[in-house]
Parts: sequence; C-alpha cells; structure tokens
Amino acid sequence: MTTTVSRPPLVRGGDRVIAGVCAGLAGHLGWPVQMVRIGMVVAALAGGAGVAFYAWLWIMVPTADESARRNARRPASPIAPAVSAPFAGPYPGDHPDRAPVDYAGPRDLPPLSPGSDFAADSSEQNLPATDAAPQGPAAAAPQSWPSRVRSMPYGKEILLGSGLLLAAGILIARMLGLDVPLGTLIPVAAILGGAAIAWMQLDETRRAGLVDKTKADQAGGWARLAAGLALVVAGVLVMVSGSGSWEQTWLALLASVAVLGGVALVLLPWGLKFWRDLEAERSGRVRATERAEIAAHLHDSVLQTLALIQRRAGNEHDVVRLARAQERELRGWLYRDPGKEAGQLSEGIKAAAAEVEDALGQAVEVVSVGDCAMTERHEALVQAAREAMLNAARHGGSAVSVYLEVTDGAAEVFVKDRGAGFDPDALPVDRLGVRESIIGRMNRHGGTAAIISNPDGTEVRLRLPLAAGPSATTGAADNGEVRL
Amino acid sequence: MSNADTGNTARAIRVVIVDDHAIFRSGLKADLDPAIVVAGEAGTVEEAIAVIAAVRPDVVLLDVHLPGGLGGGGREVIAGSVPLLGTTRFLALSVSDAAEDVVSVIRAGARGYVTKTISGAEISDAVRRVAGGDAVFSPRLAGFVLDAFGTAPADIADDELDRLSARELEVMRLIARGYSYKEVAKELFISIKTVETHVSAVLRKLQLSSRHELTRWAAERRLL
Repeated sequence: MTTTVSRPPLVRGGDRVIAGVCAGLAGHLGWPVQMVRIGMVVAALAGGAGVAFYAWLWIMVPTADESARRNARRPASPIAPAVSAPFAGPYPGDHPDRAPVDYAGPRDLPPLSPGSDFAADSSEQNLPATDAAPQGPAAAAPQSWPSRVRSMPYGKEILLGSGLLLAAGILIARMLGLDVPLGTLIPVAAILGGAAIAWMQLDETRRAGLVDKTKADQAGGWARLAAGLALVVAGVLVMVSGSGSWEQTWLALLASVAVLGGVALVLLPWGLKFWRDLEAERSGRVRATERAEIAAHLHDSVLQTLALIQRRAGNEHDVVRLARAQERELRGWLYRDPGKEAGQLSEGIKAAAAEVEDALGQAVEVVSVGDCAMTERHEALVQAAREAMLNAARHGGSAVSVYLEVTDGAAEVFVKDRGAGFDPDALPVDRLGVRESIIGRMNRHGGTAAIISNPDGTEVRLRLPLAAGPSATTGAADNGEVRL
Repeated sequence: MSNADTGNTARAIRVVIVDDHAIFRSGLKADLDPAIVVAGEAGTVEEAIAVIAAVRPDVVLLDVHLPGGLGGGGREVIAGSVPLLGTTRFLALSVSDAAEDVVSVIRAGARGYVTKTISGAEISDAVRRVAGGDAVFSPRLAGFVLDAFGTAPADIADDELDRLSARELEVMRLIARGYSYKEVAKELFISIKTVETHVSAVLRKLQLSSRHELTRWAAERRLL
C-alpha cells in the first residue's frame, strides 16, 4: 500500500487546517501534504484560482465519515462462516477418556463467531479514508504541520503571535511611508473572518446533522454563527460609516433593518413550509433507514443461512447446526432487552450453551430465572456449566436442558440430558472432565457440584453461594458435600 | 379412517391446527399420533374462529402469531371461541421467546404452551394431556412463571393467587429443569396425578393472578 496502485478515494481527511481538502487531495494523489498546501496557496495568489478550486472541492468532496457511511456495507453473516466450513472441531476423539483438559483456563472451543473477523476486515475496507492520508509517502514524514500546531501545547498562542507579527509588519510598513489602506483592510479582514467562521460552521453542522447531534455541539454552532455575524456586520458598518457621519450611518442601519424585516415577513411562510418539508423528509428517511437496517440484517443473516441450508440439504447435521445458530442469532437480535445491562450471568450461561451448540450440533435449551452481574467466581460457574453441557451434548443424545436460577442466596445451574446415564462412582480416576472441570472447579470457588445419573438421563447440579467469604469457601470444600 | 378404528373413534382426539404456515401444518399433521385426528385447519384468525365453531374439536393447536382479525393473533382466536371453552381446549404453539406472547395467550385461556421445535411424540403427549383437562408447561413457560411469581414460596394457604406454594414451586423448578411429569413425580415422591394437580393450580394462578409482573406484561400489550 505504499504505492498508489490502489488509489484511496478522494475524501476530506481529519488532518485539516480549514476543511481538510488539501490533506484529502494529498492522500488521494499520494503527494506530500505540505506540497499540496503550498501549491494551493500559490494558486490562490494567482488570481484566486486556488481559492475557487478549494471552495469547489470543499463543497463537492465528502468527509471521511460521510464517505464511510455512504459506502458502509454490512459485514458478512456472522453465522455463515461459522458453519459453512465443514466441522473439523477440536473434539476429534469423541471419547470419554479424552486428553485431560486445562480446567483452569478457558477451553479450546472454536471462537464463538468467526464472523467478527470478517466484520473487522470489511470495516477496514470501508473506512480507508481515515487511514488514507497517512498512507501516502507523506505518512513517512512525522506529522504535517497543522496537526502539529493543534497538538502543540501553545499552538493557539503561536497563531495569535503570527497574527500580531503581521499587524506589526503592516504598521511598520506604514511608518516607512508605504500606503497601506488600513481603513479598508481592517473591515475587509473582519468580513472575511466572519464569513469564514460562518462557513466553517456550515460544514460542521452538516457533519453534526449526520452524526447524532448533541446540545453542546449546537450551542457551539450558535456561538460561532453569532461571532461570524457580528464580525461581518461590524466590518460592513465600519466600511460604510467611513464615508459619512454617525447620524447617516444610523439612518442607513435603520433602513436596512427595516428592509430585512420586510423581506423576512414575506419569506417567512415560504421558509416555514420549506422547513416543514425538510423535517417530513428527514423523518421519512429515518424510517427508511430503519427498514433498510432490518432488511440488511435479514439479508445478511437469514437469507444467507437459508442459502447455505439449501446447499447442504443432504447433511442433516449441518442443517441442524445452521438452523440452530441462525435461530439463536435472530432471537438475540429480536428479543434482546435494551434495558438489561451487559455482563450478566445469564448471558454467560447462554453464550456457553451457544458454543456447545456450535461445536457439537446438539440443541441446548437455556431457561433462566433471576440474574446477577457476572463476577470472577461466576466465571468458574459458567466454565463448570459449559463442561457439563459438553458432556451432556456428547453423551446425552438428545436436547440438553439448562436451567439457571439466581436467588438472593445462591446461583444454581442444572444441566440435564436424556442419555443412557452412567455410574458416577465408576468413573475412571483419570477422567478429568468431570472430576476436575466440574466438581473440582466448583469446590475451589466455594460452590458444590452433584451428578445424578440414572438410565433415564443425567443431571449435573451446580450451586454457587453468592456471597461466599473465604470461610464459606473452605467449609463447603471440606465438608464433602460433593456427591460422586 | 379404517373400519378397525371405528371402535376407537369415540376415544380419538379431534384437533384443529391453526397456523399460518401450510408447511408447518402439514408437518405437524404427519407428526401427530394416529390416535389424534386432525379435523380442521386454519390459517387466519377469522378462519380459525369459523372452523373451531363448526368442528368443535377437543383440542386446538394454536399458533400465537396469526394474521387477520384485529392483530391479536392466537389470543383473539381464543377470545372469539369463548362459548366453546368448556369443551374445547387450546394448546399454544409458538416460536416466540417473548414472555408477553406466552403469558398473553395463557391468560386468554390456553391450557398450555409448547415451542414449535417440540418432537412429534412430545406434542402428541401434550395434546392428550390438554384433552384430559391438564395443563402443559414447557421448561420455558415454567421459567416465566418462576420469574413472574418469584422463587420464594407463599407462607399461607394455597388459594392465594399471587404466590405459588412451596410444592408448586418445586414442581415448576423441576419442569424448568427439563423434567417430564413422570420424572417430577418420581423426584418428589408423589403421583403423576398430584403433579398434574399442581400444574393446573399454577395455570389457574397464572390466568387469574393480578400479580404486578403479569399485569405489567398485560398492560404493555394492552390486554386488559
């Protein structure tokens, strides 16, 4: 990406002096930013051609954010890649006496959603503009000067200093006898400054309107508008009043205000109608955006999965896995409770169940009652529950039921399957899956685990007291509440 | 129906399947026990009310989400069949996980709630149970009940509507854990009949209780 073989799109970059036009241009052409800026200034001196070009680019070229939003493409389905690859899972030997697992660390399950990689990739492609400017050869140079000015502690003071130096230069020139028309220069400078402030504000509001705007931004915008207006009015006033007396100026001011008021009176209804149309169109666009979002979601998830299912219709295992994964994803999207904060225990259990479903293609139904925030000890509960789910899905043969109940005193998890059952007492000593990952882990964290198995199925019962002090931890572990 | 079955027709359970997806209806029909006769099918609220009134089935397998009517779905079908509620029982079927969907249709008068992923044998069993006047709770519905009524048992007599008795709570917990009625009976050392009595009592409380959570769900859906 050092050459311009694949040229980054022309967008206004974040590294900006006025509107980021030069930085964008430099990024697009692969030239140093300084060179472009100097060129622009030289062109501006050449009869104002640079100014016109700059203004034109300012209006026509979108900012990086806008461009990114415009090109925003949805990431690929989070499900499709997860299941489309034939399952070469991490459980090759589906055997009870498989290799001991590292029970303390997270299990070597496949990543929950390989789709996230895709999302990262595509978003990177979608937002080239933010990185585009530094990607050119200019990126090799440490930093361009305006951003350095901004990041420098005294950037504003230096700018002020140069302004004062300029003023001093003009004064010295006057003293040396050069005729500098200060009477017209100052008002013109004021008008230009005010106009620039107002125009930059337009640019900002355009961006702020697309991102969601906050009150603070709006207040800043109004202040800028007022400052720009005041500067321009003052400039005009000074220019006009330079030729006549104050009385005349007041009269003219009164007359112009009256004219402005009359024009406003005439244009107000039209303006209001225009404003209302704009609002209506905007709300319509919001609805359309929502619809588009739903459509995009369905397209990327459900339709993709349906296509995959059709392709793999022959493989029952794959179809079930695809359908379950898609169902889970869609349910999560439809029924997620926005009021519920993240990091809850029930989420952890559900995520573990989802991983087991993905890995083994066996349905795991989770029912939860009550909830609490996840702590480190709950992490152990989730890990133990996952181990129990893995065993149940592997040996149970049919749907696995998981029930989580959080009360004031404890969090309990029950994992039930309807497999042939086994004799917990006859477990080989080296079978760490049950002994260490479930029972040992629960005991270490002050909880208890029991395994009840009969020919109708097996149930693993995990219980973790909520507020277990160190004494409770040792007590529970020592008094042999474990049934095995 | 063959002649050999004629002796059985009085015992056969007649059902109407109400679901807007023809594929699901035919799949369900194929899955059901031979002892269960599908007497009619419907795909919308209006059709369902008409078919149920004409056929007078023992059990209606009712999808919670249905097109037509005033948008009330399965709840509206039950409301439209109120005169038949004494003889016709409703078993709700849904893919929805949302508590308000489940609770609304139960409170409208359904005798049970199962998810559509249920197997043919299980649904046949559920139909028989509902036809016999019992309630059918899926683990998920039991979870909702525990969520709504709380997991602390009532101290006083059983007839309080807003709380579950200790025994009812135990039964609900076991059902939420995936136990069948038979397994619940075995676990608690009681008869299956007693389990069914407890579940029916919970269903009645669920339908009649003015408990805060239930009324909130109902109010949010403008069911009251």
